[in-house]
Amino acid sequence: MIEVKNLSKTFPGGVQALDNVSLSIPDGDFIAVIGLSGAGKSTFLRCLNRLFDPSAGQIIVEGVDVASLRGRALQRYRRTVGFIFQQFNLVTRLRVIDNVLSGRLGYHSTWRGLLGLYTEKDIELAQAYIRNVGLSDKELARVDSLSGGQQQRVAIARAMTQEPQLILADEPMASLDPRLSDVILGLLKEYNEEKGVTVLVNIHVLELARRYAKRILAFNNGRLVFDGPVEALSDKLEHEIYAGSLETL
Amino acid sequence: MLWFYIALGLLSALLSGLANGSMRRFVVAGSLALSLIFVAFPFSEALGFLSRETISPTLFGVLPTFPILILIPLASVLGLVGAHLGRRMSGLAGVLGGSLALIVGFSWLARSPYLAQVRPLNGLMEAVSSLSFVAVIILLVWGRPKLRLPLSAAAIVIGGLVFWWLNSPVGYRYFPNAQGYYKVFINAPQGSEERLVEAYNQGLDELNRQRARIGLTQLEPISSITGLEGQKIPRAAAEEGFRLINPASRKYGTGIFFLLAGLMLGAGLMQLWRPNLEDSNDLISGGLFTAVILVLTPAFSATDFSITRLVEGWPFFLDFLDRAWPPLLSQPEFSRFPLQEVASQMLITLEIALVGTFLAAIFAIPMSFFASRNLTQGNAFMRTVFGLTRGFFNIDRGIDTLILALIFVAAVGLGPLAGVMAMAIHSIADLGKVYSESIENVDQGPIEALEAVGASGSNVVRWAILPQVMPLFVGWTLYRFEINFRVSIVLGLVGAGGIGFFIQEKMASGQYNQMIIAIIAIIIVVNIIDFASSWLRGRLV
Repeated sequence: MIEVKNLSKTFPGGVQALDNVSLSIPDGDFIAVIGLSGAGKSTFLRCLNRLFDPSAGQIIVEGVDVASLRGRALQRYRRTVGFIFQQFNLVTRLRVIDNVLSGRLGYHSTWRGLLGLYTEKDIELAQAYIRNVGLSDKELARVDSLSGGQQQRVAIARAMTQEPQLILADEPMASLDPRLSDVILGLLKEYNEEKGVTVLVNIHVLELARRYAKRILAFNNGRLVFDGPVEALSDKLEHEIYAGSLETL
Repeated sequence: MLWFYIALGLLSALLSGLANGSMRRFVVAGSLALSLIFVAFPFSEALGFLSRETISPTLFGVLPTFPILILIPLASVLGLVGAHLGRRMSGLAGVLGGSLALIVGFSWLARSPYLAQVRPLNGLMEAVSSLSFVAVIILLVWGRPKLRLPLSAAAIVIGGLVFWWLNSPVGYRYFPNAQGYYKVFINAPQGSEERLVEAYNQGLDELNRQRARIGLTQLEPISSITGLEGQKIPRAAAEEGFRLINPASRKYGTGIFFLLAGLMLGAGLMQLWRPNLEDSNDLISGGLFTAVILVLTPAFSATDFSITRLVEGWPFFLDFLDRAWPPLLSQPEFSRFPLQEVASQMLITLEIALVGTFLAAIFAIPMSFFASRNLTQGNAFMRTVFGLTRGFFNIDRGIDTLILALIFVAAVGLGPLAGVMAMAIHSIADLGKVYSESIENVDQGPIEALEAVGASGSNVVRWAILPQVMPLFVGWTLYRFEINFRVSIVLGLVGAGGIGFFIQEKMASGQYNQMIIAIIAIIIVVNIIDFASSWLRGRLV
């Protein structure tokens, strides 16, 4: 259960990316976040795992306000949140297995991590999720030898290897061939259903959001303008979400 | 030779104009440069009795004795005003200004030698020095708009202090030449020439007695002040502040003056013919052109650059080659084995470079992380460490390997150890700087990703940054090794071991036919190493 209360984020330049956002996310939900680029979707996700520091408001996860965590406590929180980036953010010179194993770094002491001393369990987990995303044969390949779609699957395996309670995916298909969208979203959906892990996906293709998500959050100009089940998203609302910002362009 | 300079100026204008280059900028450049040459460049010689009493006055310096020279700054103003009015006016101004400068220049050169009295302008050199001080500081702080005003004000205060210090007795103790450096000449008072000639002739008997004692020829009485042999004036006259100005003698200001006057004239003519040869930024490009010429001319003069001397030296070069060839590879009857010696010294040179570069890399890698802006902005302590490391790099980079080698030779004695130490210490800074720049330019994505999985700071460095920068580090280290190998050749010259020592020894004893072996070996090995290293670096990326 995640509860977001009055979350705001203003960047140093004065741009207000999030404006007083409040909502609650029950465990096991699959949520699509929609809106135009610049609407605050990405900022919202990055505030949830604290890659960005919120300017105001609370994010209460399992009764703890994570908005103000620092240092070691923040690292402990982050290891429970898997994040999937639009640009994959893998270390392309390392092998697939090294990248996936780095998902376990949050669970070990600094010196173990420095030396790369992963446990048997870590390696089993990593191998299992690499198999899960269908890349068993590429386990020892260098990431820069893989295609874009394969790289994003490595990034997904890395997030899953964290054994998170929440997965945040920031436009995971945006840099890929549109035909791969179903593969990526399928993997996330499957994981969500099997493990009961909450998944939030930023999507700009509305049709995909309707197909996969149970619930939709829509942002416009940093404000949450829609929060409800897919069925409730009428054509009129949809038009407002996408056209509303055109006036401000 | 003067006609050559004028022709060069005219030709440059012609060619540039035919290529549709702006002519107005040359009018601007000529105008600016002529006035600067007028006040700042030595033009002729003024002789005293001793050679160190010789003064090279500027045109401004002789202005009181030859007032017509005032037309040169006027020609300059004319050129600038014309260029401002544009098109045909600019062309006209170029023609008028250029010809005026040429006429005045020639009439100065045509004047016969005459006596004048020197008057130092006190404080001028001191003012120029302190103003350049102020200008440098202001240029340095100009990039920071917030600090611009306070720091510029501070620079002016500092400049004032420097001026005061240079003018004080303490300043003259350190910079005695600065006092009255700029000298102006005024006409010698009526009758002083006759008085000096008479005084000289009166003292001649005593002088000739002394000369006879040490076996020198007797001197004749003179009838004019220029009659003295060896282009000098009597000692007494020189001591009274008289100098013999010889307008026809040329200094480096003369040639460039006629070149720019020719350029201005040529540009003016071209623009009269094709008035549209101008551009909107002529003032700036003309100013830059002037700046380059004004910086280069004294530099060429100060370095004694002379094609004539190169041509004169050519036979000596051929003589050197003649003595060097054929190389003396081995002479067992005298147990001399130069080829073998070159081989072993070359190996030592290579080993100095290897060890020096390796040691430098070992220290530079950890230090470079502390010198990376993106890793050290977390807290005040890290920012201090960053500043200290960067500061160390900057100071260290300023001390060349060769200088360090001299110091280490004094400390640990002759031999490769001094070379290795010098190379290692200097290379730490060079490598550290490029390493830290590599770290600052890494892809931020993986760093963000590892922060997102909850990895600690040092783990992010280990798993997100290190894999990205390691190949770059290796590449930079190889590149540094290439440079260091070439440096280690020279290190021997200061006694820090290796093949340079061999070269110096053979050069000093005139055994050119042994030295040539080392030179050929260096050419071959340098090329092999450069080729191998760049091939390897190409494979890394």
